[in-house]
Amino acid sequence: MRPFLSSGPVAGRPDGDGVRPPPPSAPGSAMPFASPRPMAGPPVPGFRPSPVVGFTDQIRPGPPPSHAPPTSNNFQQFSAPQYSGPPTNPPIRTPPVGPPNMNMASPMPPNMPPPIQRPGVPAPTPPLTFRPNSQVPPQPYAQAPPQPFAQGPPQPYAQGPPQPYAQGPPQPFAQGPPQPFNQGPPQPFAQGPPQPYAQGPPQPYAQGPPQPYGQPAYAQSPSQPGMQGFVEDFSSLSLGAVPGSMDPGLDSKALPRPLEGDVEPTVFNDMTMNCSPKYMRLTTSAIPNSQSLASRWHLPLGAVVSPLAEASEGEEVPILNFGSAGIIRCRRCRTYINPYITFTDGGRKWRCNMCALLNDVPGDYVAPLDATGRRIDADQRPELIRGSIEFVAPTEYMVRAPMPPLYFFLIDVSVSAVRSGMLEVVAQTIKSCLDEIPGYPRTQIGFITFDSTIHFYNMKSTLTQPQMMVVSDVDDIFVPLPDDLLVNLSESRNVVESFLDSLPSMFQDTVNVESAFGPALKAAYMVMSQLGGKLLIFQNTLPSIGLGRLRLRGEDPRVYGTDKEASLRVPEDPFYKQMAAECTKYQIGINVYAFSDKYTDIASLGTLSKYTGGQVYYYPSFRSTIHADKLRHELARDLTRETAWEAVMRIRCGKGVKFNSYHGNFMLRSTDLIALPAVDCDKAFAMQLGLEETLLTTQTVYFQVALLYTASCGERRIRVHTAAAPVVSDLGEMYRRADTGAIVSVLSRLAIEKTLSSKLEDARSYLQMKIVKSLKEYRNLYAVQHRLAGRMIYPESLKYLPSYGLALSKSMPLRGGHADALLDERCAVGSTMMTLPVKSLLKFLYPSLIRVDEFLLKASSPDADLKNVEKRLPLTAESLDARGVFILDDGLRFVIWIGRMFPPELAASLNIDFASDLSQVNGSNNEMSRRLMGLLKKLRESDPAYYQFCHLVRQGEQPKEGFYVLSNLIEDQTAGTNGYVDWIAQIHRQVQQNA
Amino acid sequence: MHWDLILWLISLISNIVLLVLLIYQLICLSDLEADYMNPYETAANINSLILPEFGLQAAFCALFLVTGHFFMFLVTLPVAIYHARLFARGEHLVDVTEIFRALSVEKKHRLIKLGLYLLFFFLVIFRFPAGSISSLSIFSSKHGDLDIRSSFLEF
Ligand SMILES: [Zn+2]
Repeated sequence: MRPFLSSGPVAGRPDGDGVRPPPPSAPGSAMPFASPRPMAGPPVPGFRPSPVVGFTDQIRPGPPPSHAPPTSNNFQQFSAPQYSGPPTNPPIRTPPVGPPNMNMASPMPPNMPPPIQRPGVPAPTPPLTFRPNSQVPPQPYAQAPPQPFAQGPPQPYAQGPPQPYAQGPPQPFAQGPPQPFNQGPPQPFAQGPPQPYAQGPPQPYAQGPPQPYGQPAYAQSPSQPGMQGFVEDFSSLSLGAVPGSMDPGLDSKALPRPLEGDVEPTVFNDMTMNCSPKYMRLTTSAIPNSQSLASRWHLPLGAVVSPLAEASEGEEVPILNFGSAGIIRCRRCRTYINPYITFTDGGRKWRCNMCALLNDVPGDYVAPLDATGRRIDADQRPELIRGSIEFVAPTEYMVRAPMPPLYFFLIDVSVSAVRSGMLEVVAQTIKSCLDEIPGYPRTQIGFITFDSTIHFYNMKSTLTQPQMMVVSDVDDIFVPLPDDLLVNLSESRNVVESFLDSLPSMFQDTVNVESAFGPALKAAYMVMSQLGGKLLIFQNTLPSIGLGRLRLRGEDPRVYGTDKEASLRVPEDPFYKQMAAECTKYQIGINVYAFSDKYTDIASLGTLSKYTGGQVYYYPSFRSTIHADKLRHELARDLTRETAWEAVMRIRCGKGVKFNSYHGNFMLRSTDLIALPAVDCDKAFAMQLGLEETLLTTQTVYFQVALLYTASCGERRIRVHTAAAPVVSDLGEMYRRADTGAIVSVLSRLAIEKTLSSKLEDARSYLQMKIVKSLKEYRNLYAVQHRLAGRMIYPESLKYLPSYGLALSKSMPLRGGHADALLDERCAVGSTMMTLPVKSLLKFLYPSLIRVDEFLLKASSPDADLKNVEKRLPLTAESLDARGVFILDDGLRFVIWIGRMFPPELAASLNIDFASDLSQVNGSNNEMSRRLMGLLKKLRESDPAYYQFCHLVRQGEQPKEGFYVLSNLIEDQTAGTNGYVDWIAQIHRQVQQNA
Repeated sequence: MHWDLILWLISLISNIVLLVLLIYQLICLSDLEADYMNPYETAANINSLILPEFGLQAAFCALFLVTGHFFMFLVTLPVAIYHARLFARGEHLVDVTEIFRALSVEKKHRLIKLGLYLLFFFLVIFRFPAGSISSLSIFSSKHGDLDIRSSFLEF
């Protein structure tokens, strides 16, 4: 039985993508519109005058912003009085200098009157009833003249494009007054109070008594004469103006440093019905409206998705069961029902937000609409108000009965596996987790061990002891008793336990050094292929016998710097890719635990995880006396975390844009369908999108991630995350709404992928080029109007991009050359970075460095003041103090650094054993040691995906200090790499070249 | 002259087979793109044809060398070298795990090859018999055309 044939259960197949009719240009009259909600919001503290460029924004479909017509064009559409405006109002608009996007949205200048607000006056039904997506003739202006808003400068510029949001009900951007997103000028999109000028039609002004002096507020442009200087919309760093001099003249203290770690983007939640950024983050929540604009955005344009991220307390994703009624989806594009759809026709029809098709509402789902066009039962229906939702899938989403959770273990029992203690720790840990493995009572389990032969274990519940069968013909593998090798855990519990108890002793006297890994893998695959499941491989030696045999490579430093270098980082034998592909086909996800103290070719072994949605755990030189805790914790988490089985994921997006590349650990099953045999909360996937049309006519682009999976309990479910992002015509807006975390996440995946086909150096320069190009483009936005000489400018949203870029190019997979990192370690870390969610990745790149000696020494004070301790320091040697104790925490490990002048007697009371490199800061009973342990525990709890192994380093202790600490102080200049200051100076130089 | 005709028929037929093999691969790739075929089928279908195609093309090329049709040999040689290089590097098979990423490149390469095969096809039809008479007359298409007819007539 083949689960998922080519036409397998797909989270919605793209049916007839090619034959989509154009969206009907439905007349607005079909829709009830206009919430009577007062359009005038509360006064707006965060109000920013819309800069002059706003005028130039054209009615769609208009020309791309890059050739905005002279502003005057638009003015003329308004009645003349605006020009005859009061004399006190100086020339309101100077035509913009330079390209339109050079606007400086600036905080409201002090001399501007506050925007007019008339909270008391409810707005009348807006005159505009345009639907989103419909191509509307430039009527807004036609309607404008009758309205007395003419006295002021023409607010309507803010409405340039048809205001789809004017129609109350659909309000895709949930907050209060709708905000037109696509208007060139930098709409702050503040989550704060609504911006008055953004409120669709000009009613507020239309009604009030004429206030000739009031309205100009909207028209103020930063370039208005009389304003005292520019209020800059960008951040900048001053650099010494001596070009070519070695001293960049940078104050290193002034450099931006990501000391708060990952900050979730707030702009993403402008759309209040968006899913949490935990699940999906866009590299910029502003989609360019044209290909020409997109091509000026040199950073990745895409998303990072973590569909099963752990929800915080109280924010769990609700699970809905529509039962036999079925899940409501768009007929044409298969989009799932979500908060952004709109109901019309008295609630009997709904319009798809992705493709604008009008669908019927199933009979028993119909509910009347209120006056705003909102369903009266919306608040009781999570699918209409929540961005993340989970549906119970009916049988049409299954090609077979939902599979039981299945864990299969493939364990190396060669001499090094036994001697290192790995075997014992693994057996103990599995045994201790048996109660917590999800899916009771359906869970299945099985084991194969191997050295130069393959050992199968019959664990039938009727036996008291497992029966071992040895197959020594590894060239022609056959599986004895295929039915009894995989057993139900709850039925065979005793046999499984007795097997795990005896496993370490069974092989304790082995002298076998060979590893028939390939044949054993094949055998495991044959056993599992009926059901699929999760395969955990514990590998201690280089595969040496049979299929998939590998050889030592990567020892030759001469290969580095040549074109052959990259071939060391890809699998040597096509066997591994083929096995991975076959495993994914049969719903087998593979996690590799590698332990060797010698080269084990993680590049090849890791491939098994890469294409099956798994991950690699690497424990170089594993010794159970030292690393047992780490292995125990991570294996336990792997076994007990909630896992989604036989999953497929697809991300849909609105018309005109398309995801065209995907990055992470998975295999693509069709152009846009990601196959994930087993996926969990610790995995994230990145994807990039492109514009399919030269010009987008919609105002908003919607994204919907759908993950169809089998839960451990046996229920088939669909998890759906929906988000919306405005379409903009202004590059500055894209920068303003950029998300450094998501950008770094995508960039790091791209750079790591590049190392698989090019030299490390090329991957680093690729990264640097991306950063330089984006900053150069940004600089060009402002170069004309501002004196920028000697300054490096960057958008506030990207202030940490250079530091993360530097950290990335110094990270294990990209750093240096042959001598700077072991090949296996590079590949293992690279593989991990391909799966890390944004937050963990950022912490890994820019680890937190905290000083703890005061905390440890302070006599009283309980753990409450932990907050104070967690003040992160810049990653430079200057932060270290010889009298102190510091902890460096990158999320995967801790390094405790003890200064030379830290009193030795105190160090002794910490009960630290410096001789060995261990985490045995084992709590003696003194207060200090207890505090330290408490602190480490706290830090670990905040980051449970991995167990942070603790390395101890005393100042000046080489080479440990260099390896564990100094190489992580990424702001410092180390052999052949830039320090942070030089890096900034270098980027600045490159930005200015040909600028 | 009979030998020439047989040679001509052989090369014509093998050229047609090459075209068919290649076009089938292209169809598989576009089916994959349109989601009519899954990556496993596509890769299996294409990979089963690659060695036959390479072998036939090599034979096609060698045939001209052996029979002394050096012009045709030189024309077909680059493709044979390209194939040999792919094979030597182990890059000749389609990689099922990265098939979508490689899709556009694979298609492009095959389209270029399709163009070359079509070129061979026309050369075989119009030029090759001319070469069989005199290696000098290959620059004259008139003679070639005549020659086809004449060999038909003789037959
Ligand atoms: Zn639709």
